[in-house]
Amino acid sequence: MKNKYILYVLGLFVLVFTGCKEKEYEVPTAPSELQNDLIKRSLGPSIVGLDIEFAYAMALLPEKGKLATATVTASIAGAAGTYMDNKFYSTNSSGTEVGTVVGSPSVNSGNTTTVTYNPDISAATLRYFYRVPEEARGKEVTFTFSVTSTNGETNSYKSGPYPIRRMDVKKGLVLKDGTSSFLSIADMAVYDATFAAANPTKIDIVYLYRTLATVTFNHSLVAPTANAEYRPGVTLPAGLTNKTKLIKAWDIRDAQLILVNNLATSIFVDDIDLQQRNFNDAPDFAINTRAESGVWVETADGKYRAYIYVNSVNNAAKEMTVSMKRLVMK
Amino acid sequence: MKKSLYFSLLFLGLLAAGCKKGFPVDEDGLLITTRSECYVSSFEILGADYQTVRTKAAVIDTVAQTVNVEVLFGTDLKNLYPQFTLVTDAKLDPKIPGKVDFSDLANPKQWTVVSGNRKVRKTYTVNLTVQKIN
Repeated sequence: MKNKYILYVLGLFVLVFTGCKEKEYEVPTAPSELQNDLIKRSLGPSIVGLDIEFAYAMALLPEKGKLATATVTASIAGAAGTYMDNKFYSTNSSGTEVGTVVGSPSVNSGNTTTVTYNPDISAATLRYFYRVPEEARGKEVTFTFSVTSTNGETNSYKSGPYPIRRMDVKKGLVLKDGTSSFLSIADMAVYDATFAAANPTKIDIVYLYRTLATVTFNHSLVAPTANAEYRPGVTLPAGLTNKTKLIKAWDIRDAQLILVNNLATSIFVDDIDLQQRNFNDAPDFAINTRAESGVWVETADGKYRAYIYVNSVNNAAKEMTVSMKRLVMK
Repeated sequence: MKKSLYFSLLFLGLLAAGCKKGFPVDEDGLLITTRSECYVSSFEILGADYQTVRTKAAVIDTVAQTVNVEVLFGTDLKNLYPQFTLVTDAKLDPKIPGKVDFSDLANPKQWTVVSGNRKVRKTYTVNLTVQKIN
């Protein structure tokens, strides 16, 4: 019994001493093969016309060879504006990104985008911007990133599939009281009274700015059918009859609808948010719509739903700048 | 043997003590207390964007059992979220599971406050008016 305990204690000592043994740090040995890795930089739903951004890292031991080409193959060819940056970026002491050119500007050919490296590059991380094309709407896109080196090695990294949403995005529409105050959801465009009179069925929303003595009216979005008290002083062109449904929203600062990057937000309105929004009993007016607020919209015929984000308002100019995400419902 | 008998007895004793009737709860599983106070202490009302639509603080009359609240011009009256703050242990009947339609201004909405002892019930009428444009 006693011997058993002694053995246990000795065993414990051995464990303690071996556990405390100090190990010298060793610089890891770099793999000798051509290496690659990938991260997706952009967040949120992938939408036609917007970019999906990746950072593709490649490296090879200098004595083994140099990087030759970096190629991305998308399952659906990107729209005009798709490119791979021919620079890698580092951050200087001021926190500004500084690019260093490592190859020729990228060349698009069909589904592929290629950067050919300068002769002396051993490692680089290149950014790839895929401009989502119309053909990809409602489908999925996959990407194959591949790298070749001067010693004949190749390596690749598959990414995706990424579902492309059915919605559309339009940013920076400027509504101006009295002049460009008619908004069409179908066209995602702002029109004046002349156009509205000629195309009354296209007008879903009227913008107006009023400062009234007893109530807070300010910047408002109303349907043409809204009660006259909700559009004081507005004489609508004949034929405007769309009873657009509007639901006010607050604190939904969509990251894909903001115009300035200094607004920290990680909120994204997706297809499903528009599909599942309940517009029963929704009114046809949104009074006192403030900057950074929003309005959920359903057109009178139910064909379109949208989220309109108010980027900014200007009291003096009687202006409102909006951006929208719009989904075709039927 | 004797030891296990003692343990069994102790276990049975614990079981019996565990089954002892505790504090009474109502049909919602809420504790019924001895408090008989029964009133609304504050009232808030939010719009579809979950922002307040009050123009000023609601006036609560605990004698007349009314809540008078004026909402902003342009408020969507069909989609409002009233919020009652009640005296300790009291509850509201009916419950407010979501948005409430206040558009029928001629027939104000009513809610009953039930005291902590569930013996006193007081019905409050919420009189909503809309800020007028002159």
